[in-house]
Amino acid sequence: MYLEVKDIKKSYGKDGSYVQVLKGITTGLEKGKMCVIQGTSGSGKSTFLNCIGGLDTLDSGSIKVDGKEIANLKPATLSDYRRDYLGFIFQFYNLVPNLTVKENIQVCQYLTKEPLNIDELLDTLGLTEHQNKFPSQLSGGQQQRCAIARALIKNPKLLLLDEPTGALDSKTSRDILILLEKINQKYGTTMLLVTHNNSIKNMVHKVIIIKDGQIHKEYENETRVPAAELEDL
Amino acid sequence: MQKILRKRVVRDLKENFLRYLALGLLIILGMYLVVSIIGAADTIIDGTRQMAEQNQCEDGQFGTFVPLSNQEKEEITNQGITLEEMFYLDFSMEDDSTLRVFSNRQEINLIALEEGKLAEKENEVVLEKRYAEEHSYKVGDSITIADKEYKITGIGTTPDYEAPYKEFSDSSVDSSQFGVAFLTEDDYERLKSTEKSEKTESYYYAYRLNGKMTDEELKEQIKEFEFSAEEIEDVYFQEYWDRTGGKKEELQEGITELNDGGEELRNGLSELTEHNQELTDAAEQLLAVYPQGTQAGQAANNFVKSLKEYADGVEKVADGSKELSEGINELDEQTNELMDEYFEIELSNLTMFLKAEDNLRIGAAGDDQIINKLGGLIAGVVVMILFTYVISVFVIHGIEKESSVIGALYALGVKRKDLIWHYLQLPVIVTVLAGLVGTGIAFSSIGIPVQMQDCYDYFSISKLQVRYPAYLMVYSVIMPPVVALLVNYFVIRKSLSKTVLSLLKEEKKESKISNVDLGNMGFIRRFQIRQMLREVRTGFTVIFGMFISLLILMLGLDCYVMCSHIKTAAETDTKFEYMYTYKYPEEQVLEGGEEAFAKTLKREAYGYNLDVTLLGIRKENPYFEVKTEKGENKVVVTSSVAEKYKLGVGDDIVLKDEEEGRNYAFTITDVVEYSTGFYVFMDIESMRELFEEADDYYNVVFSDKELDIPAGRLYSTTNREELVQSSGIFVDMMMSMIIMMTSVAILIFCVVMYLMMKVMVDRSAFGISLVKIFGYRPGEIRKLYLNGNFYTILVGAAVSVPLSKKVMDLLYPYMVANVACGMNLDFGWKLYVAIFAAIIVVYLIINQLLVYRINKIVPAEVLKNRE
Repeated sequence: MYLEVKDIKKSYGKDGSYVQVLKGITTGLEKGKMCVIQGTSGSGKSTFLNCIGGLDTLDSGSIKVDGKEIANLKPATLSDYRRDYLGFIFQFYNLVPNLTVKENIQVCQYLTKEPLNIDELLDTLGLTEHQNKFPSQLSGGQQQRCAIARALIKNPKLLLLDEPTGALDSKTSRDILILLEKINQKYGTTMLLVTHNNSIKNMVHKVIIIKDGQIHKEYENETRVPAAELEDL
Repeated sequence: MQKILRKRVVRDLKENFLRYLALGLLIILGMYLVVSIIGAADTIIDGTRQMAEQNQCEDGQFGTFVPLSNQEKEEITNQGITLEEMFYLDFSMEDDSTLRVFSNRQEINLIALEEGKLAEKENEVVLEKRYAEEHSYKVGDSITIADKEYKITGIGTTPDYEAPYKEFSDSSVDSSQFGVAFLTEDDYERLKSTEKSEKTESYYYAYRLNGKMTDEELKEQIKEFEFSAEEIEDVYFQEYWDRTGGKKEELQEGITELNDGGEELRNGLSELTEHNQELTDAAEQLLAVYPQGTQAGQAANNFVKSLKEYADGVEKVADGSKELSEGINELDEQTNELMDEYFEIELSNLTMFLKAEDNLRIGAAGDDQIINKLGGLIAGVVVMILFTYVISVFVIHGIEKESSVIGALYALGVKRKDLIWHYLQLPVIVTVLAGLVGTGIAFSSIGIPVQMQDCYDYFSISKLQVRYPAYLMVYSVIMPPVVALLVNYFVIRKSLSKTVLSLLKEEKKESKISNVDLGNMGFIRRFQIRQMLREVRTGFTVIFGMFISLLILMLGLDCYVMCSHIKTAAETDTKFEYMYTYKYPEEQVLEGGEEAFAKTLKREAYGYNLDVTLLGIRKENPYFEVKTEKGENKVVVTSSVAEKYKLGVGDDIVLKDEEEGRNYAFTITDVVEYSTGFYVFMDIESMRELFEEADDYYNVVFSDKELDIPAGRLYSTTNREELVQSSGIFVDMMMSMIIMMTSVAILIFCVVMYLMMKVMVDRSAFGISLVKIFGYRPGEIRKLYLNGNFYTILVGAAVSVPLSKKVMDLLYPYMVANVACGMNLDFGWKLYVAIFAAIIVVYLIINQLLVYRINKIVPAEVLKNRE
């Protein structure tokens, strides 16, 4: 297993405001696979993703990525872990507003010794002609592609995506999903997607449905549909 | 990565160009002022010190009643001391100014020519620079001294008149009224022979110790020099001497005569005793001739008996006369001892001994700059802290705006130190650039030389080579970015210390104070308070900026108030029209004159040894409303003394007589309002007793009309008009500085307040656009987001105005430590109200400007913020 999650628990607040968000989740994911995490609002899916990404700490349990335990690492070591292993993509892109597309990607290019070829990546993501534009000059889809490129330039082993199409229209969402599929195939990137969108689960290898902080359902998708053919996006 | 982010820094700079330009200009202005003031101070301190060395500045000077004899001079110079006569004559000029004339100097206090050449021939003169400037004299012009025309061959300065005070007791230099000139020795003698000088020749000597002895040793040696009455040429001194010191000689002569008479008497009696035996023998022989028992024999017998009785008497008288003679000898010895004890001062030729370090005229320009330098260095750092803190507010605002971006970058593995360094770059770049430009301007011809002009306009110093000290370059170029780095590092570090999630979610950490329970307060008021609490950092920066600006303003105002008080006090406190300081007092005080006894003593304040005049006056003195008490240790001090030395009624004041090396302790019985001079009043009779002077002794006369006193008797004459005029010099002299300080203070205040209040509006842009969507009108939005600042400003002003005044009042005495005058820094309430009103007016103007900014925020801002 590339990603091994064992009985992780996470809670917030104290006394009256105490909420246990994750109530002992155990799961895993093979290298190079795409996985969707689904659930209603407040189910704990984003917290689950954040814990894997080292953005949030665990109360208990274990998370191993490529055999390396990441639970309870110190902030500096977590930072190195993110730098060396992870790519993050957010719903609201979070691009540096006064850097161009290319420069936004370059910010992360310098975090690794073996980055992907930026021009090839720009080309793959259809950003070559937009590379010198600032985020404010791009559409939402273009901005998200830029955010994907920024996450991919480090050639991360694990790509975490939090509602990557949440702010996009149907057509653009499809374009982005096609792109992600292409990247998965081309670079063998392991991907973990948090989404509300019910259609996306059809294109991935594995689906995890979380409900009230626990895994409600978990299955391997035997009948994957290519992203281009997804319906109701 | 930094390489990429650096591009962003340049873009940030471009995007907020006006904001950073305003701040940059303030830093440039601040650095320009600080560097030019410190550079000017360094140039003056080092330059005048160097000039003093080059021109063989004296180690000290002393005055004598009569010139030293050649033997006395040799006694001094043989020990390796350099000695030179600095005799002078004061001449009244056509414009009533006084020109002090010296002959050319040979070895000490040499003339540094600014232009032209020394006076080498007859009718040539070199004028002191400031006097020449004030009277528009140029080389080649003519000047009339004692009705004779002299050609000005040169204009220059000397180290012993760097601050050309006419008298050591003067509190300000007035070169329109007093100056110095140098002639050939022959011309000097010719001038002297005209007898047209204001007073008789003054005998002063300058010395250089050359490491051979100390000042004290030299002083002790000179004190041993006595003068002979025959040497006195001055008729007034002669007359005075005859009345005072001359009495000793008369007394001594009388005792000697008495002694001589006694001796003569003893010798006569001794001779008589010697002849006694002969007389007795002859009588006995006579008795033998006469037959015993006869009448003639009986008569002879009786005669011889009487003769023997006479001889015994003579012998007894002779013995008595011996005792008398011994007694007279003893009287002579004891009288000599007594007179040596009590007439020692009067017989010593020394009238004054002054070390260069205690001489107000020497090194004054440099002394004046020391506080400027220290003040400038500290002010530079304080102003930089303010400016960089303002920058940090912008940076923090930027970080908050980019919170989710920063969170995303963290999530992607970017480290905090990378981002800290990135966010530090802008403040550092702005401060480096501004520091460089400010330093560049300060080091240009409109920098240091301009700051030196006030010094050139007051002190008599040569044009100095501007210095560019390496430490100042380091200070001005390195200090601003270092301060920016430190201030911003801590502020930015804290902001970037949030968790990744917190940044991604753009969570705002609410302080406890923001959650304060506001009870049932109305919505508008409640909103305003919440807004104020949310913007507490920005509000604090506005108050901090206000405080720094007010501090600078208070420096200017304190300076103005003090100078104005001195001027006003000179007008109101000076009741006399004339004050005559005697060198040789007349036997009787002239009619219309009020006698007083003045003695100049010293007391240190803030490292400066200042003259304090102990003035003995009669209780009924019409010129000073002072209630002195009898007693040798009871004094009344003026408010100027009380303020300078922080003294009050019941305190003791110790004054030092440096001539005698003796301290006098007095108890203060009262403090009287008087700011013009440094006076300590005492009952004149008690003062005479204390200083063992005659019952009718005086050396100062006050009068409400001009008295007919020969100039030769006087050290100086001070009239009320001159006194008031010279007191007004301070206001004129300091006005440019006061205007500069006030302008800088207002500028800093306006810029800081505008930028900070604009940041508040920018940070509230989302909220403002939201309430616009809700349908709030501009007036209501203004109420919600701007008017609350009024209370911040109000509270800030209420705290900052008195606090800055208090702080400056504590600091100011150190800045004018070398000025011997009153330190009345009290403001009238009107000035406080004016400052307060000015702050509110500035606030209202800025508020109005920000309304424009609020109107520009569109409701779509909400959508923009949520993309």
